[in-house]
Amino acid sequence: MDTQRIRNFSIIAHIDHGKSTLSDQFLLKTGAISPREFRAQVLDAMDLERERGITIRMHPVTIYYEHAGERYELNLIDTPGHVDFHYEVSRSLAACEGAILLVDAFQGVQAQTVANAFAAMEHDLTIVPVLNKIDLPTARPDDVIAEMQQALGIDPSTVLRASGKTGAGVDDVLRAIIQRIPPPSGDPEAPLKALVYNSHFDTYKGVVVYVRIMDGRLTLGQRIRLMRGQTEHEVIEIGQFRPAPTSVRMLSAGQVGYFMAQIKTLGDVHIGDTVTDAARPTATALPGYKEPKPMVFSGLYPVNNQDFEALREALAKLRLNDASFTYQPENSEGLGFGFRCGFLGMLHREIIQQRLERDSGLELVQTAPNVTYEILTRKGEILTIDNPQKVPDAGQIEEFREPVVRISFLIPAENIGDMMKICSDRRGTFIRTEYLSPTRAMLVYEMPLAEVIYDLYDKLKSVTHGYGTMDYEMIGYRPADLVRLDILVHGKRVDALSTIVHRAFAEKRGRKLVKKLRGEIDRHLFEIAIQAAIGSRVIARETIAPIRKNVTAKCYGGDITRKRKLWAKQAAGKKRMKQVGQVEIPQEAFLAVLETDND
Amino acid sequence: MDQSVTKLSEPPWVWPRAAYVHVPFCAHHCGYCDFAVVAGRDDQIGPYLDALRAELSTLGRPEPVRTLFIGGGTPSHLRGRHLQRLLRMVREALPLEADDGQPEFSVEANPDDIDDQTVSILADYGVSRVSLGVQSFQPHLLRVLERRHDPAQVPRAVERLRRHIREVSLDLIFGVPGQTPADWADDLRRAIALPIDHVSTYGLTYEKGTRLWKERARGRLIPLSEEAELQLYEQAIDTLEAAGLEQYEISNFARPGHRSRHNQTYWANEAYFGFGLGAARYVRFRRERNTRSLSLYLRTCLAGGSPTVEAEELVPDERAKETLAVQLRRVQGIDRQRFREQTGFDLDDLAGPAIARAVELGLLEDRGEVVRLTRRGRCVADAVITTLL
Repeated sequence: MDTQRIRNFSIIAHIDHGKSTLSDQFLLKTGAISPREFRAQVLDAMDLERERGITIRMHPVTIYYEHAGERYELNLIDTPGHVDFHYEVSRSLAACEGAILLVDAFQGVQAQTVANAFAAMEHDLTIVPVLNKIDLPTARPDDVIAEMQQALGIDPSTVLRASGKTGAGVDDVLRAIIQRIPPPSGDPEAPLKALVYNSHFDTYKGVVVYVRIMDGRLTLGQRIRLMRGQTEHEVIEIGQFRPAPTSVRMLSAGQVGYFMAQIKTLGDVHIGDTVTDAARPTATALPGYKEPKPMVFSGLYPVNNQDFEALREALAKLRLNDASFTYQPENSEGLGFGFRCGFLGMLHREIIQQRLERDSGLELVQTAPNVTYEILTRKGEILTIDNPQKVPDAGQIEEFREPVVRISFLIPAENIGDMMKICSDRRGTFIRTEYLSPTRAMLVYEMPLAEVIYDLYDKLKSVTHGYGTMDYEMIGYRPADLVRLDILVHGKRVDALSTIVHRAFAEKRGRKLVKKLRGEIDRHLFEIAIQAAIGSRVIARETIAPIRKNVTAKCYGGDITRKRKLWAKQAAGKKRMKQVGQVEIPQEAFLAVLETDND
Repeated sequence: MDQSVTKLSEPPWVWPRAAYVHVPFCAHHCGYCDFAVVAGRDDQIGPYLDALRAELSTLGRPEPVRTLFIGGGTPSHLRGRHLQRLLRMVREALPLEADDGQPEFSVEANPDDIDDQTVSILADYGVSRVSLGVQSFQPHLLRVLERRHDPAQVPRAVERLRRHIREVSLDLIFGVPGQTPADWADDLRRAIALPIDHVSTYGLTYEKGTRLWKERARGRLIPLSEEAELQLYEQAIDTLEAAGLEQYEISNFARPGHRSRHNQTYWANEAYFGFGLGAARYVRFRRERNTRSLSLYLRTCLAGGSPTVEAEELVPDERAKETLAVQLRRVQGIDRQRFREQTGFDLDDLAGPAIARAVELGLLEDRGEVVRLTRRGRCVADAVITTLL
């Protein structure tokens, strides 16, 4: 394939701005699918994505389009829209020369629009701005174009108008892709150099590697080398997604597709790695990607301790297709053996848990999430703390540091006051406000990441009635007056309920937490004290009164079977809970820490 | 060899020495009751007795028992010839046999059914014990329960019964919405003033599907608080024991020598026969229950079929746990040695650590040979049992 006839592009958009629908229109217009197959969201193949309307994994699609008498190969590399999956966006962008910046003509510029647009600009991609959903009666194209100019410096005359729903303007977008986005610059005659931008594990075929060919050619039967691990393999299948996997004999410079080479484990394939020819290797590998750093950690425990090995297997299987989450065994006094897992963010964490429960059928307890802290000890060591259990005694701590992010909110101007109040309650430092239009503003804060992960997103959505959006990036670690808040149930510290909080907020949080826990733990045959403590100092206490009367009045011949079933059911219910000391704690209680701010 | 001798050589938890017969007919279906009950269909009494005779005849030959219990419904709702026919067929099919004591033959009755004719029929057929459904002496609570008798009928009924029947027991209900400790004190005082030797006090239960259940669900009826129920329960224990009626089960009190032998079969988890609509039986470790549909019962029995609709047989381990649970309801508790004989399991292998824990909490008492609920444990028996299973 002549590189002049190839275009590689992504669509970057805020969630729900119609990316998938527009992608489907591309498939329809180019004949890749029939109108009958034009079901909504063709590209989102995973159930979870469909349920949530979020594209998580990248699905490359190759389509063909006739323009000015020439046939062009267009490779669409999908990107996820959510803040947790930021790093996947940059992966896709590295395989493209251009990006469609899609903005909803009613909702306007949102926080992820800004973040993703800047990411595309950093990669030197050509941006094709498109206003979507122009068929909506509520569309306000002129205002939104003004926002795009104000927030992103987009030239208003370059903005196209389209509707993924009706198909209006889609041909204009396809033409603009060909006219504005430059063809790939690779040399088909040079030694093979291909970027691995994703991979997935197929139970029958082994590892499927997604590549963008930068230089040279990839052919069937070729002996290739993965440069990072220096392993060699023979290519047994090559293909493109059109959108169904379609075998081809060869991929050449500029093209996007997949190959299989009897690679047994995903561990052998590193995202960002360079594929080259074993016999005629390229001199220099591609720069690759930064490893994604998990930002949010929580413990994951099987409800039944004997499921520990099953959980380990399920985690290993999941990691095959998602290298961005990490896990390592840990042991909790209260919960037994489990794993400390690292996630990109809260959404990622939730998706992983759901996938685990769905795929493995295991019942899991998840502890409250926390971020990674740093502690400078009196001895001058720096400890990395991904679990509140690892916080040393106060006497050994010279400095307690927490990750801080720069967070931007794009919100209706009328909600600025409420949002500023929310931010200051969460220890935010105001940086600036910027008006995109008289009615929409961007609010920028610096804030501890720990304050972001709890429920900030929900708060934002609630004060802005769903119209606000946010995005954040790490700016580093800063010292703070932090303490470990412990929870004691019936005199026993429940390590899985410990959290790290700012001292100024500890008492309030402790009070709310014990109150919440009182509601989650059933009454027992004895009184249960629930206490919040910092070190040995108790700062809050609630009591669960014992059961005083619980007895079946009648138990005669006809009642025995029924009563036995009832008793057995109650006994089984207890077994599903976590036994901590003498107290049975339901799973919900371990998440109580999350919800203490919802008064 | 005589077949009955063979059977009676089997222990009482395998082969029954007790039989229950159900009479579903009532003048009215009370709002709290979820038993197999038929109200306003007195025309079906004749056919029912035919069907019951057919079911009893499936025994093949008279089966001797030591205790008989006719419950309901309202057995005393049957009058004259119907009542005679019932008692005759039951005694023929299930002849009472003395062992170490007098045989026990109990019948449940409503106070307003007790006239001289009924009492003499009961006495003629050897009924030795009548359990009287008093429930309350307070007109406002009887209205909530939909009981139709006049409290003033109760002393007259007891007096009439005592002329010919050896033992009379009263059933009382506590925890009725609107009930005060003073109401309950009055009920208890009036009960112990009567010439009776046995009282059952039942905490009101809201059974699914009953009118009371629905009213509570709709918020039209506010149940008593747990604390209030507890107070009434403890009040009953104190008052009755002070009057010489010893508690011997969660809900039962008797003067020495007057415990219900029949009901103790259930709490020992021993075997029993059951006949009639909705009746349960436990024979050779198999639990069965008859249909609760009157038409189905009549049809199958009269056609010579079996009215059984549910059956189960527990594995030994579950059976032992069930025995543990029901035996704990007795004030005497569980005798370790007998438990081992009956179930083949060692009590401590089944629930040793949980028992120790409940002893620590003051809910169980471990006297070596015997494990039993403490008084406080009796108030939370279900919760304690759940920890032992």
